[in-house]
Amino acid sequence: MNEQSVGIRIEDLHLSFGDTKVLTGIDMEIRAGEFFAFLGPSGSGKSTLLRAIAGFGPAPRGRILIGGRDVAGLPPWKRDVGMVFQSYALWPHLSVRRNVAFGLEERRVPRRQIGPKVEAALDLVGLLPLADRMPSQLSGGQQQRVALARTVAIEPKVLLLDEPLSNLDAGLRVQTRRELLALQRKLGLTTIFVTHDQEEANTTSDRMAVLDAGVIQQIGTPQALYDRPVNRFVARFLGTANILQGEGTREGFRLPGGATLALTAPPGPRDIVLRPQAIRIGPVEPASRDRLPGVVRHREFLGSQVRYFVDAADTQLVVDTLHIATRPMLEPGAAVSLAVDPEAVVVLEESGGRAPI
Amino acid sequence: MLRTALLLPVLGLMAGAAGAAPVTVVTSFPKDMTDPFKAAFEAAQSDHTLEIVNRNTNAGVSFLQETRGSNTTDIFWASAPDAFEVLKNDGLLAPIEPNREGIPDEIGGYPMNDPEGHYFGFAASGYGIMYNTRYIEANDLPVPAEWEDLMAPEMNGHVAMSSPSRSGTTHLTVETVLQGDGWDEGWAKWKWIAGNMNTVTERSFGVPEAVNSGAAGYGIVIDFFGLSSKATGFPVELVYPSVTAIVPANVGMVANAPNPEGAAAFVDFVLSPEGQQVLLEPAIMRLPVNEAVYADAPEGFPNPFAEDFAPDAIAFDVDKSGARYNLVNSLFDVMITYRLNELREAVAAVQAAEAAHPEGANPQAQALIDEARALIEATPITEEQAADPAFAGVFTIVRDAEDVEVVGRQAEVERDWDAAVVANYARARELADQAAALN
Amino acid sequence: MTVTTVSIRPRLPRLSRPSALAVIGILIAAFLMMFLILPVIQVIYVAFLDPRSGALTLDNFSDFFASPLFRESFWNSLYVAAMSVVFATLIALPLAYLTTRFDFAGSAVIQSLGIIPLIMPPFVGAVAMQLLFGRNGTVNLLLNDWFGFKIPFMEGLNGVIFVESIHYFPFILINLSASLRNIDRSMEEAAQNLGASGMRLFRRIVFPLAMPGYIAGAALVFIKVFDDLGTPLMLNVKAMLAPQAYMRITGVGINDPMGYVISFILIAFSVLSLWLSFLVMRGRDYATVQKGGGGLARRQLSPWERVAAWVVILVILGLVLAPHIGLMLLSFGTIWSFSPLPDAFTLKHYGTVFSQAGQYITNTLLYAGGAALIDILIGTAVAYIVLRTGLPGRRWLDYLSTAALAVPGVVLGIGYLRMFHGVHLPGVGPLASWWVMIMIALAIRRLPYALRACMAALQQVSLSLEEAAENLGASKARSIRRIVVPLMTGGILAGFVTSFATAAVELSATIMLVSGERDAPLSYGIYLFMQSPSGRGAGAALGIIAVIIVALATYISQRVIERDSHLRGARPTGSH
Repeated sequence: MNEQSVGIRIEDLHLSFGDTKVLTGIDMEIRAGEFFAFLGPSGSGKSTLLRAIAGFGPAPRGRILIGGRDVAGLPPWKRDVGMVFQSYALWPHLSVRRNVAFGLEERRVPRRQIGPKVEAALDLVGLLPLADRMPSQLSGGQQQRVALARTVAIEPKVLLLDEPLSNLDAGLRVQTRRELLALQRKLGLTTIFVTHDQEEANTTSDRMAVLDAGVIQQIGTPQALYDRPVNRFVARFLGTANILQGEGTREGFRLPGGATLALTAPPGPRDIVLRPQAIRIGPVEPASRDRLPGVVRHREFLGSQVRYFVDAADTQLVVDTLHIATRPMLEPGAAVSLAVDPEAVVVLEESGGRAPI
Repeated sequence: MLRTALLLPVLGLMAGAAGAAPVTVVTSFPKDMTDPFKAAFEAAQSDHTLEIVNRNTNAGVSFLQETRGSNTTDIFWASAPDAFEVLKNDGLLAPIEPNREGIPDEIGGYPMNDPEGHYFGFAASGYGIMYNTRYIEANDLPVPAEWEDLMAPEMNGHVAMSSPSRSGTTHLTVETVLQGDGWDEGWAKWKWIAGNMNTVTERSFGVPEAVNSGAAGYGIVIDFFGLSSKATGFPVELVYPSVTAIVPANVGMVANAPNPEGAAAFVDFVLSPEGQQVLLEPAIMRLPVNEAVYADAPEGFPNPFAEDFAPDAIAFDVDKSGARYNLVNSLFDVMITYRLNELREAVAAVQAAEAAHPEGANPQAQALIDEARALIEATPITEEQAADPAFAGVFTIVRDAEDVEVVGRQAEVERDWDAAVVANYARARELADQAAALN
Repeated sequence: MTVTTVSIRPRLPRLSRPSALAVIGILIAAFLMMFLILPVIQVIYVAFLDPRSGALTLDNFSDFFASPLFRESFWNSLYVAAMSVVFATLIALPLAYLTTRFDFAGSAVIQSLGIIPLIMPPFVGAVAMQLLFGRNGTVNLLLNDWFGFKIPFMEGLNGVIFVESIHYFPFILINLSASLRNIDRSMEEAAQNLGASGMRLFRRIVFPLAMPGYIAGAALVFIKVFDDLGTPLMLNVKAMLAPQAYMRITGVGINDPMGYVISFILIAFSVLSLWLSFLVMRGRDYATVQKGGGGLARRQLSPWERVAAWVVILVILGLVLAPHIGLMLLSFGTIWSFSPLPDAFTLKHYGTVFSQAGQYITNTLLYAGGAALIDILIGTAVAYIVLRTGLPGRRWLDYLSTAALAVPGVVLGIGYLRMFHGVHLPGVGPLASWWVMIMIALAIRRLPYALRACMAALQQVSLSLEEAAENLGASKARSIRRIVVPLMTGGILAGFVTSFATAAVELSATIMLVSGERDAPLSYGIYLFMQSPSGRGAGAALGIIAVIIVALATYISQRVIERDSHLRGARPTGSH
């Protein structure tokens, strides 16, 4: 449908609700045709940023370039971005067909072309047979697809999705996100997807931006962010992370409690991230470099894995092991020895791990 | 808190009941009149209090009729003798014998009291024309003297009047003219006057209100409306046409009155010289029926006992009026009230035609005009028909004479009249327009 | 929660402890039968009687439709009611739009003054309007002086439409504003996102979504105007149904069944319009606000737009408050006759009424307050029974309570006289002349307003909040008392205010029932004063006092409601 997808560039964007700063110093570039996610907890400003791109909410400071054109001063109806709302916002007084036709009518598309375009859009989401229903007669998933059809019908330059899956139940969510991705690939539309669910972001997006407290913490591919988080927030938000405070020394990285890991870290206090699967748990062995003594406190059986909570290095570490039917599980109270693969350790650049505000 | 708030009035009610038994008066008289009477009566008769219930005459009559099963009213006090006649015929008034010293049986040919003692005239009223001096000055209009003056073309749109079915006093005015000029002449006069009206008000007080505020220039009113308006300071004057009737405002005791003793005391008071004196207050301005009281009247106060007052006053025939009371009201409403627009258009067309051809200068036009005038003046029934009990019975509530055959339902009769009247007015207008178009 | 665009309806039917509620429901039904249905039947059955033989007949109806005057009256009433809706809409729409869409100080002005036209005591309003807009009123005298022409504002049917629109437009304003506020912001944003803006956006999305509120308001205006007696009478327009009915019922000694036929037709027609508006609105409950809040986005106005908006507001308010302005002038004026303004100003009229106003005010507060109290008690109970129980026939409670809208006050008053005058109560005398009956009549007349407010309030209290209370061990009665009713406070209070404010100036039923000056409320006092030339100023002064009292009561309650809704806003009352 849309061959000439465009990129989005946001430069030094600031936004406040009255005295409350909601977004601070946002800079990013979203490439043409990319499926990009804004990921963050509620209140992180991700929806506000999306709405700012669409032109809703208080006027931000800074520039928003869509396909090279600064849209910051434009009203929503002149921006040519399509948005799917979290609540879908289907107009209850209009049929599915009239809902989808609305944007085309507003764009003064000739009447003859509206019908086919509406049907094409509904066909795209597989809802053509329901075209003459009222929104209240549709299920949540169907409403969601109507909202999507309504938005893509106008062939926008970019597609904005505001938590589009949050109102669906779990099974439908997985299916819908695949469909969404397939549709995006088919249309080649530059798409921004707002979510608080890292799994959703990981499975769909080409790249993503993690936001917290109105600041972009990190931008990158899902894998890059998982493997190389820049700070505690990103590390914690993407998957489970053991974050240890220690000190870089000549010998390696000294942990509280005395053990030293064989990895090179700049001197001085540092934080390191250990993913649970990067720690091996085993019977007590003589303490050595890279080995930490510990005691199992608690155990969770997750099916494919067993998760142990182990007191070690003056803190509690989470350790995942593959579950194998024949191998007996460790009992709480068991003394263990933890081995850390130095290559799997991420040394955070910022000490203290707090994001700048 | 709430409970006390709710209880207080109950206690008040009981306290009131414990003292002097109140005399409950249903009246159409305004507060301006009832308040001074209440004060004077309670001062003179310390063991009675007066409880005023204000309803217009017709609603008051309806009220007494609706509540006859368990009457709570002691006194009915209103202007229109007809209303008392209706109540008397319904058996809703009790005969009494108050002290009437100094009050004649008749003033200006009109009997002051019910011969059987059911109600008594306590004040006389004449009918007149009140006019707004600022209004007529601004519009360059004449000062009226007689009813005929209101028929003049230059009065078009400046006159106001109430409907006789809404106002007992207006009914008397209408009936006075019908009796004074005769049935056909009388109706013709009313229609020519009505053709100049800008409104037929729903309440009789609507007329003085319209004249006082300047919405209308002239109003056909009972005299005290004009007199008290003037006394209040409005720029209005009242004139009595020579054909008027002196009609008493009345008071009567309701049958089965809960407080008959108090009721009798009130009637006595109203007829006594002290009571009569109250009538002279500026806000009331009604004519006392005790000639002696006029000695204290302010200068210029009209005196019906004087020789020169309304020289052509007619002897009002109460029986005739009573027999056709509802019929006259209905006829007036059908011909005038409800079809005022049609009538006005027809009258205006005739006035325009006459202005175009003064004094019969064009015989052909004059013939058309005469025909149009006749159509406007035509009345659906004759005086004889109106007097026929079979016909009048269509309009009465009481089926006291079971043997009287009635000729139809009121709605049917009115519908036929309405059709005839509308057709006449339309044709008259057509003819007048034709006449005006001739050169 | 599953967010859908339809409103959240409780899962019905659900009978948990019906017995107590059922008893309450039956008591309310009995009350309504006793004080609404039976008295009305007492009056309108006359329409089916042959006036002479007393036998049942339909002749009266064929007479009605055969009479050109009645047919004309019927069409005139329809025309006036429909045109009044049109003009009331023209007044209300810009005001509702400005208050709900823009952030500016005028909104508060509209909200507080917008309801004032409803609190205009009868008689005085029309007198004041005549003085301002009549053929020789202020406006026309000035027009005539300056330009040599006059505008017949107050003549004939147009005059009725003019006055009625000004008086009743707040019904549309209130309902439409509420509806507009209940539209979820995303509804509007989705349309903007797809390219709609400005008037197109309003016409295609916002207004259709607010349609239920608009229809509710418009239906109310239509019915009120159709039934209204006072205005046509004051303007001396007689070829309409209500004046015809009144004049025929209250004429001396006339045993004309036509008045009752017309009453029947008035009631039937009003019930029909109510029913039609119900039908139209069914399945269109568009209240779309999600997650507690987020109504339409409000925009700041640019300075020029602000000036324009103020001009619009002031012009409209100047027009709709004209009766009050006229009343004010009248109450301070000495003589006002054929002149643009009174000759001089004085405080004398207030002195005159001062001595007597106390008793009228007490009575008014008692009657209107008591009536409003009865209304919210019944309204809350009926709302709960209708919305939250599966009691059989519960809808009929709603219909019965709402039916009072269709009954002209005079008919109710006459019905009470017929039904209760013969009933004696020890220590009270005839029931019909007991002041409590005035209160009950007012309560019945205003119940529909309070009921709608209570219903709306209950709809906003999520069922799960009540269920949570029951889950924690509160009985049905206690959870209603401790959870549901407190959360409904704002709505209940709004119902109280509407009932109180309109009951305080009601005259039509009152005038039939007041048995003495001692029991008279303000509106009746005004009526008394206005019956004499010297009482005009005093009556106007009393009218001003009435307006001030009601406005004050309204203002105070409004503040309470606002405080309450702030509190509620801080609490999660939403539905997820």
